[in-house]
Amino acid sequence: MENNTLDIIVCIKQVPMVSELPWNSKTGTLKRELAQGMMDPASRLALEAGLRLQRAGQPEGRRIRVTALTMGPPMAEEVLHQAVSLGADHGVLLTDRKMAGADTNLTSFILGRYIRMFQPDTGLVLCGSQTSDSETAQVGPQLACELDWPAIGWASDIRLTQRTLVVTRLVDDFMETLEMDLPGLVTIDQGALVPRYAGLAGVAQAFAAPKIDVVDADRLELDKDFNALKDSPTRILDVFSPAAQKESRVLKGAAKTVVDKLFTDYGKIISSAMGKDLKKK
Amino acid sequence: MSKKSTGKDIWVLGDYRNYFKNRVTLQILARARALAEKTGGRVCGVVFGHDVGGYTSEYIAHGADRVYVIDHPRLKSYGIETFTNLLIGLARDMNPDIILIGATRFGQEVAPRVAKRLDTGLTADCIDLDIDDKQRLVQIAPSFGGNLIARILTPKARPQMATVRPGTFHELPHDDTAQGEVITLDLPEDLPAERIRCTHSEYRPVKTLGIEKADIVITGGRGMGSKGKFKKLFDLAGLLNAEVGATRPVVHAGWVGHEALVGQAGKHIRPKVLFSFGVSGAIQHTAALMDADFIVAVNKNPDAMMMKLADVAIVADANQVCSGIIRALKEKIRD
Amino acid sequence: MDFNPCMKHQVVRKTVREFAENEIGPHAASLDREGRFPTEIIEKMGPLNYFGLQAPPSLGGAGLDTISYAIVIEELSRVCAAIGLCVSVHNSVGLFPILKFGTEEQIARFVPDMAKGLHIGAFCLTEANAGSDAGGVETTATKTDEGYTINGTKIFVTNGGVCDVVLVFAVDAGSQGPSRPNVFIVEKTCPGFSVGEIEDLCGMRANPVSSLFFEDCPIPETNLLGKPGHGLKIGLTALDTGRIGIAAQALGIAQGAFEAALSYAKERRQFNSPLTKFQTIQNYLADMATSIEASRLLLYRAAAAKDEGGDFGAQSAMAKLSCSATARTVTDLAVQIHGGYGYSREYDVERYFREAKVTQIYEGTSEVQKMVIARHLITRPS
Repeated sequence: MENNTLDIIVCIKQVPMVSELPWNSKTGTLKRELAQGMMDPASRLALEAGLRLQRAGQPEGRRIRVTALTMGPPMAEEVLHQAVSLGADHGVLLTDRKMAGADTNLTSFILGRYIRMFQPDTGLVLCGSQTSDSETAQVGPQLACELDWPAIGWASDIRLTQRTLVVTRLVDDFMETLEMDLPGLVTIDQGALVPRYAGLAGVAQAFAAPKIDVVDADRLELDKDFNALKDSPTRILDVFSPAAQKESRVLKGAAKTVVDKLFTDYGKIISSAMGKDLKKK
Repeated sequence: MSKKSTGKDIWVLGDYRNYFKNRVTLQILARARALAEKTGGRVCGVVFGHDVGGYTSEYIAHGADRVYVIDHPRLKSYGIETFTNLLIGLARDMNPDIILIGATRFGQEVAPRVAKRLDTGLTADCIDLDIDDKQRLVQIAPSFGGNLIARILTPKARPQMATVRPGTFHELPHDDTAQGEVITLDLPEDLPAERIRCTHSEYRPVKTLGIEKADIVITGGRGMGSKGKFKKLFDLAGLLNAEVGATRPVVHAGWVGHEALVGQAGKHIRPKVLFSFGVSGAIQHTAALMDADFIVAVNKNPDAMMMKLADVAIVADANQVCSGIIRALKEKIRD
Repeated sequence: MDFNPCMKHQVVRKTVREFAENEIGPHAASLDREGRFPTEIIEKMGPLNYFGLQAPPSLGGAGLDTISYAIVIEELSRVCAAIGLCVSVHNSVGLFPILKFGTEEQIARFVPDMAKGLHIGAFCLTEANAGSDAGGVETTATKTDEGYTINGTKIFVTNGGVCDVVLVFAVDAGSQGPSRPNVFIVEKTCPGFSVGEIEDLCGMRANPVSSLFFEDCPIPETNLLGKPGHGLKIGLTALDTGRIGIAAQALGIAQGAFEAALSYAKERRQFNSPLTKFQTIQNYLADMATSIEASRLLLYRAAAAKDEGGDFGAQSAMAKLSCSATARTVTDLAVQIHGGYGYSREYDVERYFREAKVTQIYEGTSEVQKMVIARHLITRPS
């Protein structure tokens, strides 16, 4: 890493638009290819953070290059185009049947393999703190372990100095300022930033001169018998929809009657949430 | 006293930041006890810090058979990598069967790192834990905002790890007579230096952080009828000390601002109680509220999806019930 | 022949939809009610290239193909047809003629600010005595030493109340023989130019449609668009292009109304069932979806034809004819499906219903579209 250039990788995930959740009950994995995709909102924030760092670096003559990295089925290329439309310099899709069904342990392994092999001079990796689908908040720190880099989570503000990164964050009611040397990894907290909208010129340009690399298992030199689903230490037994299982208590009748019943039977829950006592009456 | 484990030990990492407000370690200890009944293992607390004797005895009083402690001035302030390295070292020495950590941000920082470096699996934010007939830990966790719940196993890798959502389990009553071993260990000499430097840390409990942190949320949908009628939800919110959210059609109709949108593209809420008035329950909306602990839905339509997701489904006119609840609260709230 | 939308078109659609739903959707009903043009929203759209959709990137535009352009207008109109109209008219009959027929100097002078949305464009042709009959135009341009003087009144000018640059279709005064129409670029700063009252219209109420008055407006030679006497050609090309935007707008209105109706029909219960269980409602929904799909394909066909470079006039006429008819029938059924609520302003469908009608009237009535199509059928070699 030269003194005045910095390579940033932003990990992006394509998640299904929630209006459809096609589940493959045999393998316990999501049929992602059937659902319309969108850029995970947390990834979007990470990208925004990266783009702002890029802009902040410019007055000092610091060249910051932002790569959007994603692992997913072929249709995930769409979010890379979206990332480039927003301002990323370049996008990388890691895709291969062998990668399907990876849990966070395997996902971080694959992402780390790409970074070490193809972009070893990366100075900073940005991720969302947790995705809207699996919501584990694990890939970021696990990727950092894979790379043996320090990592800070839930950043609400990040500031680059020449060689370090300063992060402000609010965790468990503690407001903290932390600093680490680069290279490092940061995950961005939800609500930390308001992401920009993509301009249509950006979209047109992203497709006119595509800057997407597609990398498969062979190029990553993964083992011949690599199988993310089998190699993942965790296994999904089954998935169910709580809606289907919920036992609702149904109250019918005149408004006054049902309201009285509500307070008689559930008044404690309500008052406890309010933090106030309610008269029995 | 043997320091080595029986191979069936269930460890619970002591998360004492923000204790007394944060009771998650005690909650997990209670569940660990129940799991240990099935596996025959010991429940062990793990505590790192400086002058942490108080927590040690607290954990024993709340269910731990044993507590491993590393107490050292260098551990006075929390360091992500330091605590991670300590837990990893301990786990490699002692081979616990299960490690459970509260899904606070502290826990969610340490757990993934430990799992990765022990090359084992980790399930995040579990809302239940069980032991199956093969003595394996069944990890039950939500995804898609709680629209889907998965049951997960770690078939081969050990230890089996999970983070547990605070508030999921109930702590056992404090038992002064409980007996337990305290095993004090030294700080490893080869502990790597902490690469993350904390230059400032300030306890700053935030009163309200808006709808996403609110304990009570009221949402209104089309069924409220009009902007004027929707406004009544704010009166109810005032009495409940709640925040008001809305569905997309309501925001589009201009009845309330975009900041109130609860949905996949809006805010995610996790209240203790959710009151939902006149909401049909389109999945884009419900995806963002399934983490609510207790849902009361009011709708004229008994088959609306929102009614099926509710703990209490009130089949009645949303406006009338809203007014009814407002009247009732005015009478009931103690001055 | 691949009928699946390519990834680029998917991304264009998602990009616009996100902006439209977040920034415009929450205000569409109140804008319509108040008849207010939302300059604050327009200001957000400028930097995102909504006002230079097909202008070249070197001039600040997005350089999009015409199908992408149609998708943008459709997605905007699905949420707020008045804004869709503003953007469509600005792009296709305000900016496009300058790009196609302007001199390098004119392009350099006008396009960059228009492409950024700093200057809003409009096109005025219609007059009190000249609606479908463009030959009835009475606005005159008299040749002077410095250029021309324009006199006349234009009515029903879309964007009239806010336009900074307007293309004016005027006839040569005092010419012998058949009048030679010209198109002039007039800036609002021009002396003698004034804007009339904003029209009180049934729909598209957030668009400031107004009359424009030209009283001895001095226009420099350098503001004549194209060669002298070429006004008709420019006007017709502008209308051919504008048709695609309006067709897309009508399609967006239909799409928005359809989605509202479908979602309502799934929730609303009568006789112990959701409306979707009743065959009549199913038939309505099927008809609506089919019309929309057919119109959509015609629209994209016309858009593709325009980009291919040949004559696309008949196809764009078919697209506009079909899309506007679809908007009428779909919005009508959408209101019907909503029952009494469909007639109430608390729901969006009555707005779509009011908006749909004018798509069969402006930028060439449906009757005129049929003339265009018939002429094409009759005159082309068989």
